[in-house]
Amino acid sequence: MNQTSALRAGRAAIFKNKVRTFFSKPHNVILLLMGIVFTVSTVAPIVAIVKDTFKIHPGTIDAFLTGKAEGYTLVNYIDLFTSNLARTNLWSPLWNTVLLAVGTCVVAILFGGVFAFLVTRTDMAWRKYLSGIFIFPYIMPQWTLAVVWQNLFDSNAVTGTSNGLLAATLGIEMPLWWCKGLFPSLVVLGLHYAPFAYILIGGIFRNMDANLEEAATILDTPKWKTMTKITLPMVKPATLSTILLVFGSAMGSYPVPHYLGLTTLSTKYVSMNSKYAGEASILAIVMMLFGVGIMLLNQFSLQSRKNYTTVTGKSGQISKIHLGKIGKYAIALVLAVVTFFTSIFPIVSFAFETFLPNPGDYSFLYTGDTANLTTKWWVTATNTSALYGQKGILYNETIRGAFLGTILVSVTCALLAGTIGTLVGYAVSKNRRSKAANYVNAVAFLPYLMPSIAVGVAFFILFSNEYINLFNTYTLLIIVGTVKYIPFASRSSLNSMLQLSGEIEEAAMIQNIPWIKRMIHIIIPIQKTSIISGYLLPFMTCLRELSLFILLCTQGFILSTTLDYFDEMGLYAFSSGINLILIVTILICNAIVNKVTGASLDKGIGG
Amino acid sequence: MKRIVSLLLAITMALTLAACGGTGTAAPGTTGETGGSETPDDKEDPGDTEETPAPENLTDTQKIIQEAQGMTLGELAKKAIEESNGQMFYGVGNSSRGATALPLFIDYLKTIDPSYTMEFEWQQPKNNKIFDQLTADSLKETGTFAMTLIQDGNQIESKMTQTGILDTFIPKDWAEANGTTAKEHEGYLPMQTLNKIFMYNNTGSKTYDNCWDFVAEGEHGLFMDIDSEVVGKNFLYMLTRDDYSAMLKEAFEALAAEEQAYFTPTIDEMASEAESLGLGADGKYALAWIKLWVGSYNAQTDDGPICNTLVDQSATDQFGLLVYSKLRAVEESASVSRNNVTVAAYNDGYAGMGGFGYSHYLFVTDNTPLPWTACAFIAYLTCTADGFSAWGKDIGGYSSNPEVYAENE
Repeated sequence: MNQTSALRAGRAAIFKNKVRTFFSKPHNVILLLMGIVFTVSTVAPIVAIVKDTFKIHPGTIDAFLTGKAEGYTLVNYIDLFTSNLARTNLWSPLWNTVLLAVGTCVVAILFGGVFAFLVTRTDMAWRKYLSGIFIFPYIMPQWTLAVVWQNLFDSNAVTGTSNGLLAATLGIEMPLWWCKGLFPSLVVLGLHYAPFAYILIGGIFRNMDANLEEAATILDTPKWKTMTKITLPMVKPATLSTILLVFGSAMGSYPVPHYLGLTTLSTKYVSMNSKYAGEASILAIVMMLFGVGIMLLNQFSLQSRKNYTTVTGKSGQISKIHLGKIGKYAIALVLAVVTFFTSIFPIVSFAFETFLPNPGDYSFLYTGDTANLTTKWWVTATNTSALYGQKGILYNETIRGAFLGTILVSVTCALLAGTIGTLVGYAVSKNRRSKAANYVNAVAFLPYLMPSIAVGVAFFILFSNEYINLFNTYTLLIIVGTVKYIPFASRSSLNSMLQLSGEIEEAAMIQNIPWIKRMIHIIIPIQKTSIISGYLLPFMTCLRELSLFILLCTQGFILSTTLDYFDEMGLYAFSSGINLILIVTILICNAIVNKVTGASLDKGIGG
Repeated sequence: MKRIVSLLLAITMALTLAACGGTGTAAPGTTGETGGSETPDDKEDPGDTEETPAPENLTDTQKIIQEAQGMTLGELAKKAIEESNGQMFYGVGNSSRGATALPLFIDYLKTIDPSYTMEFEWQQPKNNKIFDQLTADSLKETGTFAMTLIQDGNQIESKMTQTGILDTFIPKDWAEANGTTAKEHEGYLPMQTLNKIFMYNNTGSKTYDNCWDFVAEGEHGLFMDIDSEVVGKNFLYMLTRDDYSAMLKEAFEALAAEEQAYFTPTIDEMASEAESLGLGADGKYALAWIKLWVGSYNAQTDDGPICNTLVDQSATDQFGLLVYSKLRAVEESASVSRNNVTVAAYNDGYAGMGGFGYSHYLFVTDNTPLPWTACAFIAYLTCTADGFSAWGKDIGGYSSNPEVYAENE
């Protein structure tokens, strides 16, 4: 009897000790807490949106088909998948979405990859300038390139609008497939996301061991074979990472297909939301399923992926391909022209647009008469009908308020996402072989893989109820932004923490240095650059995020929704002015961070 | 594709007719006052079918509204001052100019009590989000929004009033100006009617003198997407009504034989659809016009870009269906001019509809935090020229109050 009690007490004590030991390690506590938080922040919105697909919404198709104003039904699924409108509302947008996502990945990888190769592996001229300018399309809100595309290529004869710049000045009328639909959408998104490919693939090229290719050269291997059998396989992991990052983002893009006239799941969601609310939620779930699918594919590819050692101790030198005296300038010139149109021209165009007397009125270009220019969009101090009831940009309280709102959301999201992501990276790296760590790592990354608009929808539904009602609050934007951007920081942090030898921290532990001190004085200073990138990326992405926030607040709340509002209204002077403000803000922040810490945007994209 | 479009329309039409409850009285203060423009929101003004609930079933806000409906603007203003001095007022609307009207309202209250202050915020959601926003806000015990200025009678009825989210308040002064009383008035409270009219760029030789010209072969009118601004969809629903169908038939008959030949197959094709939907004898003309319009229009994000296009001299022979008021901000330049645009209905011998009108309605939210102030603001907007001045000073917006309307002319 006594022996049994003793045994029981022993088991309890062992368990208690195990728990105590477990919780004595900060990384275990972080892992447990984050596991709970991420599970809730990921699962709860999904549950909310699934519930919404069964719900009857007053004044919509489900209420009409069921004859009820409330309750639950399967009719949304039946109608969406089997009605005569299934092709229009589901299959056709789904097909367009897949084509857009795949096409965007192809454009981003080809453009970014080739650019990365030329910058890192050849002696091409002006590499520093080109490298810096290449990331500009990522800094700008993605749909602004779409607006520039319209302003360039639209024509009265083809698109049924007023003439764009090319038609007006040179009389060139581009075909409809060039101006509207899938092609311009995937090109614009591809250009926007090409910096991902550039940074990721460029990183591999930059660190690649030249011995591998040199060995092939010694063995007289043809250059094409060296490229296909050695070089390209090396960049395969980076290519997969690019696909991982770009596919979901392109799928969830709302503004680009919206402006360029392509019906995708995102645009269909917005257009169906008023009369087909439940069916629209199913579209959001379809988008989410793609996100989950990509995550599973990623896990699978991680398991099956061959390991390629790109950094060895033997050789840090990479041999550069000589493009020839003319070649190195000719190729650089081509790239300079291309990047001029993707990076410089939009900025010049935005600036020019703010001085036009009417939106899209290029009279000055034909006449050379400065009377056809104006400063009214900047300096008008009163609400006037000449500015559609708005004040000039310098006096406009809406733009000022939206700017401050954007800064608040971006800074807070960056601080939260950066800190949480760093802790996750640290905790996962410390438990790298445990299933719990893998789970936390995967579930933290999931929101990034889910299309932004679907994440926005899910959080809108989750936080629009009688208990919690956060619509149009900065709190909601900060929560959603943080959840969505944690992967930037967690990936960046995890990659750097994995490089860190455990001995460094152990030495401090032996001397009984508390965890907080170890983090502040040892871990963070060593991995400063990566960690700061983990803060900088959420900040910059958040500054010009639209798809994620468009359903969560009204225009005027933050700059991106205000910018979109002015673009939709055709008030391009205001939207262009806001674009300039955003670009200048990002460049200043990047420059300051770069100066102070050495971290930089173009070193951290892609986590 | 065309089959899909027609089915889409058939389903949405059926949905709308069901949602509208099948009554047929036009809302007051719209058609007659706007020079003959039509108001799609009012086709089946649903407010007519509502019965006044018994006093014990009224919500707190509805009780206040009942009391407020017997008070003049001056009396309401005093109540508003008592209630909202030093408070924050949130409004939401389809028009951004609520933000211009609110400071004028505060100034008006200051003429009664110089110490009065009120902070305010006016929000203007786009893409139909106003309904989501109001629905989300209605879930709170005390809402954020005090009142709203909203369009689209169809959705207002099915999503807002049937669900008890919004309450109608009829100001005493407004009712008197319209020769009625709050009790006798049927329907919602319209603040103004706006017109969307067919306009075309006249730098070429083309003219449009029949509404069928806008759906002729090769035409692609610029129009806000009907999913983006649902009053455009309501306009199409409205065309299926007997009198508008007859108008379309009449316009069709005014066409030359070769022009008719292009439309006839579509009209014949729509005959069975019209019958299955229970439309009148001329319903096929309406469905044919709708089908051709939906299949051909060039969807734009707003009337602003449409206006920007049409006034440019390069937009030769393009046309659009847009609000007249967008022309107000056009600045004359070497290539842009208001004179580049002609209103189609002004052409001699023009046949058929020249556009449509729609109303902006005013409502108090049922969980309003400031019911008296909301009522006073609504009365101020509808009963004074100053209140309406944010909209009234430009072309294209017409007050529902005959006295304010006259002051603005």
